[in-house]
Amino acid sequence: MFVLLGVALIVFFISHVLSPNPAILWAGPKAHPETVKAVAQEYHLNDPILVQLYYFLLALLTFNFGPDPQTGRPIASEILFYAPNTLELVLASMLVIIVLGIGLGYISGMRFGTKVDSAIRVFYLTTWSTPYYLGAIVAVLVFASYIPLFPSSGNGTVGFSYTPITGIFVLDSALQANWPALQSGVDHLILPATTLALLSFGIVPRIMRSSILDTRWSTHVKAARARGLGEGEVRRRHVLRNALIDTTTVIATTFGWLFSGTIIVEQIFAWPGIGQFSYSAIISANYPVLVACVFVFTVGVIVANFLADVIYPLLDPRITLGEGG
Amino acid sequence: MSTESKRLRRLLMSNPLSMFGLVTVTVFVVLALLEAITFGRLTPYNPYAPDFQAANLPPSLAHLFGTDFEGADIFSQVIAALPVDVGISIAVVVVSAVIGIVLGTLAGYFRGAFDEVIMRLTDMFLAFPQIIMSLAIAATLGRSLLNVTLSLIVVWWPSYVRLVRGAVLAVAAEDYVSVSKSLNSSFFYIVRKDALPNVLPSILVYATTDIGSALLTLSTLGYLNVGIPAELPELGKMVSSVTYNLYLYPTQVVIPALVVMIMVAGFSFLGEGLRESLDVKLRPHILLKGRALEKLVGAQPKRGKGGGPTPVG
Repeated sequence: MFVLLGVALIVFFISHVLSPNPAILWAGPKAHPETVKAVAQEYHLNDPILVQLYYFLLALLTFNFGPDPQTGRPIASEILFYAPNTLELVLASMLVIIVLGIGLGYISGMRFGTKVDSAIRVFYLTTWSTPYYLGAIVAVLVFASYIPLFPSSGNGTVGFSYTPITGIFVLDSALQANWPALQSGVDHLILPATTLALLSFGIVPRIMRSSILDTRWSTHVKAARARGLGEGEVRRRHVLRNALIDTTTVIATTFGWLFSGTIIVEQIFAWPGIGQFSYSAIISANYPVLVACVFVFTVGVIVANFLADVIYPLLDPRITLGEGG
Repeated sequence: MSTESKRLRRLLMSNPLSMFGLVTVTVFVVLALLEAITFGRLTPYNPYAPDFQAANLPPSLAHLFGTDFEGADIFSQVIAALPVDVGISIAVVVVSAVIGIVLGTLAGYFRGAFDEVIMRLTDMFLAFPQIIMSLAIAATLGRSLLNVTLSLIVVWWPSYVRLVRGAVLAVAAEDYVSVSKSLNSSFFYIVRKDALPNVLPSILVYATTDIGSALLTLSTLGYLNVGIPAELPELGKMVSSVTYNLYLYPTQVVIPALVVMIMVAGFSFLGEGLRESLDVKLRPHILLKGRALEKLVGAQPKRGKGGGPTPVG
């Protein structure tokens, strides 16, 4: 909560204090002076800074970011429309990251110094070094154009009449037992989700591998073996479980990368989410929308970190919730 | 010291990963420096001179990376963009590391209220997704090299403060520091003699990999066409300016992006290699190639650290 307030203050500082003339920024670079005046009025940009801060915090608390200057619709409802799609993409990527990241890191650590280890390391270091735009472009080019395995754009809703329950297309179509729609949704989801996951996940196998290496030769693992536990049990209960503790924290931080990545990946895959929404806001210099998107993304990251804090004590018996704030 | 650095060099050279990193990083940094100090005379062609008769050529010996839709040489454009890309990334990391060393040392050494304030502040800044935050700042400040650099530094410094503070806390708890304190050594003396030598290697390792991440974020800003002045070449910007040609001339789009990838990979491979070579716990395992140690350890259990698993069953 404290961090959230700080984040709000920093966003306010950037958008209202740092910029020489916020009204011009908010109205767009080519706006008529009359429009600039109207915008300044609309968003309270002529008031004293503390009054501006009050309106800004009020807007965030009531989730009312004002109207979108380009479409005229409320920004909040636009975000509510795009957010579930981004959530669908990010959660699917997360699934890929958890399975692949932990799996590869574990294999790499247990086979330290072998060719398998080197191959896995080269793989994750290379995907980590790949810019989102390159990875997404190559994925579209290869798997949608040269070898047309997957559709190249959209999230598969086109052609299906569906009533949103959660707004997440794949989930909704599964809930309503609409199998063709589910098929279309999954088909459209696989390529962008895998691309996003592989481009963001490098740090997960890396940390997993190094914690495996830290634990593998440690005294408590030796002690477990000395107690006569079987190799499988030692690996599962002592090596793997210990290594998962560090990895959980890191998985939470990859949410930040995933959100950043959606800006590029959603644009290239024409995925109708917040990433693409913010991309078009950047391109068309739509400042109010950009500020709202930045805030929403940041809240997403904070929530993810909070969830990691909740999962943490389940893995590490030494830590209990509430200890140390 | 010199035998130590020799040993480090041998460890680095023995690993093809870090060797690749070392070579790549050296090549690109030297190219960028040469291009910068010769004021752009390194490029074989004028990177912006259109030559419409040679438009959209595929890569060849005359045009290593081919030409773009105006017939300008892509290889020359890539070389021309290196000083901006490499220069800003290194600048961002160096400035952030310096901020981190100063604030982190103060916070870790003096503790108390100052520490509390600094740590809460880094918490807030770390909550932002890096690309999104620097994007917002760069969009607010407007286009200039300084503004892009600043927008990246704003999101880059907190992790260094964390890193340095943690290391200083660990050092400050050591007995030799309390002895030094009781001998009335000054703050600067302790920092210079005890804290920094312990902190610097890990910062160096982290920073090496981090230059790659800074480069990734910078080129993403370029791809989004935010912050970098219109007249300056930048690799990410080159990619986005030709994406509409993707299906017709994929090489125009993919080659500049691949250059970014190879540079970033160079920095991360080098950093990864350095980290592993400096890790005292792993060193015996690296020198004996991991597996071998497990067999050897039964025969000659000398170093206390590296006891391998005993065969079970």
